[in-house]
Amino acid sequence: MDLLYVLLTGFISVVLINNLVFTKFLGICPYIGVSGRIDMAFGMGLAVTFVMTLSGTLTWMIDHWLLMPLNLEVARYVAFIMVIAAAVQLVEMYLKKFFPPLYESFGIFLPLITTNCAILGLCLFLVVWGTSTLIEAVVLSFGGGIGFTIAICIMAGIRENMQMVDVPESLRGAPITLITAGLLALAFMGFAGII
Amino acid sequence: MIMLTGVLGAISGVWLAGLIMLGLGLVFAIVLLVASEKLKVPVDPRITQVYEVLPHLDCGACGYPGCSGYAKAVIANPELLGQCAPGGADAASRIAAILNLRISASGPAKRPIVHCRAHTADRTYFAQYQGIPSCTAANALANAQACKFGCLGFGDCVRACKFDALHVIDGLSTVDYTKCTGCGACSKACPRNLIEMVPFSYENMMTVACRSRENGKSTRAFCQVGCIGCGLCAKQSEAFTVADNLARMDYAKYAPCGENEAAMNKCPTGVIVCRGKTAPPPREPKAKSAEAAKG
Repeated sequence: MDLLYVLLTGFISVVLINNLVFTKFLGICPYIGVSGRIDMAFGMGLAVTFVMTLSGTLTWMIDHWLLMPLNLEVARYVAFIMVIAAAVQLVEMYLKKFFPPLYESFGIFLPLITTNCAILGLCLFLVVWGTSTLIEAVVLSFGGGIGFTIAICIMAGIRENMQMVDVPESLRGAPITLITAGLLALAFMGFAGII
Repeated sequence: MIMLTGVLGAISGVWLAGLIMLGLGLVFAIVLLVASEKLKVPVDPRITQVYEVLPHLDCGACGYPGCSGYAKAVIANPELLGQCAPGGADAASRIAAILNLRISASGPAKRPIVHCRAHTADRTYFAQYQGIPSCTAANALANAQACKFGCLGFGDCVRACKFDALHVIDGLSTVDYTKCTGCGACSKACPRNLIEMVPFSYENMMTVACRSRENGKSTRAFCQVGCIGCGLCAKQSEAFTVADNLARMDYAKYAPCGENEAAMNKCPTGVIVCRGKTAPPPREPKAKSAEAAKG
């Protein structure tokens, strides 16, 4: 029961309160770049969730079972980046084989998940937050991905509706998107302190 | 001595880190190698070959997103062979060679002809249109201009053209045939279907530059240079037929010859004109030049 409680609070925390996009400002590039249409945004969110869960788990295992016993914490960044790059490659091959339309619609953004700082950020946060068990690492990295998906989907929904709005000339395009992102981040601050 | 062990210890640490990274890299390399073999997607080498012979304009005339999309589609379905308008017969025959197909000779390249020749001064307006500056919007209103068939001159076709080959000159959309690739985007953009893709068998093609099916009296009232359906051209040449108060040109029968020249010169409103790279300027309508002579 204790474990379940820890996992649940951890999950809610990483999805809402410590949302990587809204409170840590990580992964802003795809958050702005792929949030034009809600179906694309959802697909991107799922791909990031998958890569995040996979690489979060793998990096936790490497960190705890290989680097920490050998006192090689300095090699963390390099090792983590390698894991993420390999995971993205794997996802890319898998999508190309089994979901060609999704692969086509992602285009350049799929390889760019490699450089999505939200993923490396989450892997390092797992260390900072002192994640002690494997199951906790899996749940937290999955939650990080879900948090990203929620953020990008909310943004895409707003932007789809905003196309029908008469935005002042000087704010059209990127400026209004950034303002929206800022307001959303402010709104998510309201979740702080619920657990 | 203490320094030496320190240095050795540091080196061994570095070696250890290097070895770990090497091992990790090796593991991931093997995993990716296996995955790339297992998840290999065979790519048809002909796709790149076909893509190479296409014009790389990405104009979308074929109905596919860009030249690479068309290359994939044409390999899957060779019936789409002649769809690349800018590439024309040359690209079609080269694609056919790659696909091991034999094609019969395709017709001459198509170019757009605007079926209107009225400039702003020739038209009649009941009121001044001040709405959205687009032909589609203006066309939704009955009285954007008196003639319900003629060019509106707001340039929907100009915006559709990727090759800077169309310009609205004095209220009339005008094709620059030296720049036109024949992709047909303008033809699709025109809300009044004024732009027809015509097979240019000759460098210049004669055409009836009007689409007005109003009766002769109304057409004369609305426009200085409209077709009034008098039928003089049809009497001169077989290439012309008159129906619904409008003369039409059968391009299959057209050839630059005396009969057609005579039809062009007989036309009282001067609506039969030549279009093409070296086309002469259109004739003034008879009534207008007579007025000019009087004045």
